Amino acid sequence: MSLMAIDRRHLLLGTLAFVGATSLRSTVSLGAGSDVAYVTAARLANGSYGILLLNSGGKILREVPLSARGHDIAINPRSGRVVVFARRPGAFAVAFEMNRESAPQVFTPGEGRHYFGHGTFSRDGRLLYASENDIATGMGVIGIYDVGRNFKKIGEHSTFGMGPHEIMLLADGKTIAAGNGGLDTTPEAGRENLNTETMQPSLAFVGAESGNLIAKHEMSGALQSLSLRHVTQDAHGVVWFGGQWEGSPSETPPQIVGSVGIDRRLKLIEPFAKGGDDLKGYIGAMAASNDGRFIAASAPKAGHVVYVDTQTSKVVGISDLKDVCGLAPEGETDFAASSGFGIIRYETARASVISEQALQDIAFDNHLRRVS
Amino acid sequence: MSVRKVISALFAAVGFAAHAASADLPPPEPVSHAAMVKASIEKYIIPHVDALKVSAAQLPAAVNAVCTTGSPAASKALQDQFDKVVLAYAGVDFLRFGPMLEQGRREQISFWPDPRGFVGRQLRLLLLSKDDKIAEPGALGKQSAAVQGLPALETLMHDQDAPLGPGETARYRCVVARAIAANIVRLTTEVADGWEKPGGWADKLLNPGPSNDTYKSASESAVEIVKALIVGVSLTSDLQVKPQVDPKVKLAPPYQKSGLQKPYYAASVGSLHQLYDTLSLETWLPPDRLWMKDWVSGTWRTLESSDGYGGSADHAKREDPATPRELFDRMNGLRNMIANRLSVAAKLTVGFNELDGD
Repeated sequence: MSLMAIDRRHLLLGTLAFVGATSLRSTVSLGAGSDVAYVTAARLANGSYGILLLNSGGKILREVPLSARGHDIAINPRSGRVVVFARRPGAFAVAFEMNRESAPQVFTPGEGRHYFGHGTFSRDGRLLYASENDIATGMGVIGIYDVGRNFKKIGEHSTFGMGPHEIMLLADGKTIAAGNGGLDTTPEAGRENLNTETMQPSLAFVGAESGNLIAKHEMSGALQSLSLRHVTQDAHGVVWFGGQWEGSPSETPPQIVGSVGIDRRLKLIEPFAKGGDDLKGYIGAMAASNDGRFIAASAPKAGHVVYVDTQTSKVVGISDLKDVCGLAPEGETDFAASSGFGIIRYETARASVISEQALQDIAFDNHLRRVS
Repeated sequence: MSVRKVISALFAAVGFAAHAASADLPPPEPVSHAAMVKASIEKYIIPHVDALKVSAAQLPAAVNAVCTTGSPAASKALQDQFDKVVLAYAGVDFLRFGPMLEQGRREQISFWPDPRGFVGRQLRLLLLSKDDKIAEPGALGKQSAAVQGLPALETLMHDQDAPLGPGETARYRCVVARAIAANIVRLTTEVADGWEKPGGWADKLLNPGPSNDTYKSASESAVEIVKALIVGVSLTSDLQVKPQVDPKVKLAPPYQKSGLQKPYYAASVGSLHQLYDTLSLETWLPPDRLWMKDWVSGTWRTLESSDGYGGSADHAKREDPATPRELFDRMNGLRNMIANRLSVAAKLTVGFNELDGD
């Protein structure tokens, strides 16, 4: 782990840019954290951005305002700490306590870095890992933060690829799976991709402590333009990924969801009625059921959630929900799905709707996290 | 037609539309989604992709004239033609679906933004190769997108150390310049054909339904065009205005070597305004929300009164030019207004998560 100094001026600037988050608004009294079931970023009714803490009925328990759009959330259930990351190419992260109100902590990735919107805690909760861009080289890094020292950045690992998006600490507690989207971006060019013709997406397994590359699987041939972005893990330790097609729309591969392991070759799911083209070439989030048997993949552009039985790699359900993206496990085998139109829906892996809640004037952002 | 005349013609058309809209008339009937799509295709998309194709078709002759004669008149004629192509391109840059997205054509026509300097680097490598096979049909299309289009041609046109001309030192540069010009013709023709051919993207948008593999309803077709409008406002805001507002953003303006950054801004804003008017989203506003129409109208006036870089546009109606900060804030407001208010009023639901991937 390499030591790295954080530019204090950069940190200060990041904090000032986030002045809107220095106060907390709450709709419930202290101690509401125990009822929190889900955490998600959202666009709020007044057009501003924030983090919403919801109970299992979909009721908002608390809002934490953000100065700009957030993306994914890392939760440490043991400590109750929550960290939300800025949407790429943002350069702020905000940490707060789920179980008590206190001033949020704002931290940044340091000079020459920006976040890609995702991160994960170490198993003991002492470290936080974040997917970041080394802007000068375009290569991906995993930023390492000491939680106990106010999220001081203490080192970096390589992701062994460009444009990492979601990173996930696997069940072994020692390995990080990094979805390297393969896309070169810089804050100067906003959200423009600079290398779609030469992109090299991959899924890398990186030692959380050593930073060593354990295994790497690259997309090649007809799949070279499938940017690997979101990952989840099933009961057998297999990593499932969802991609974003960056090639010609007419060449969208039939499947954009698949699985891979450290010692297991990359494999796409079995063909089903709605292929990659029907999913509009874009998977926005992945989740595994609590029993680890089923995985869910959301396709917001197409308005579908695809459910896959990990034992057969076959699709067992497809549901329709406009602008659906956030996914989280519910119960043993069910899922919660959230949409940009304020819907939270519970459904089975066979795509049967269990119940649905609608929040007026709320737009749920891409990711929904269950507080286990 | 000079750059000034191109811009003036664009604004004259937009100004006429705005005047007509502001006349004291009874509230218009909401324009159906199908009618929005039809109008957008017929009045905006097809004319703009055709204008790009037609202007690009003149490039090879203009390049050839410079490479054959090296005369100042030929150089000026090439620059004038290049300007027309670039400004025509500003009107289609944000149509990032269908034929523009296919085969990476957008990046190949106009590799910008280029914060890493790929155009210069890749072009140097290509020039060093001195491989005449680059002149063969289709050969340049296999090279990096950075050397295939307008920015690469602009770089060759403005290299003072080795100007394009008939001499031996410029021979291979002219081989490359001719190949780029021909490639731009191919790409812009493919884009136009992709839209206009029977069964092309215009037909796809105009004929939604269960058997259409992309658009199941007229609403889905209309949403696609509204999304393009929103993307266009975001691109103009983030790539042309933001670098002037945020000192950390170091990005050269588009086509600066040709001095086109201000005309490009004007063409971008003018084109977006034209598409906005063509969509007629405001016809869906209920009486208590007509203030949105006034706000949007004022925003277009502000955007069009500016040259995009802190000064006034030639035809500015405001005496004090809008600052880049004001432009940036106005554009963000406009984006939100279209995405979250006007499209909702028009029963076109542009999803929060579907707008761009992540």
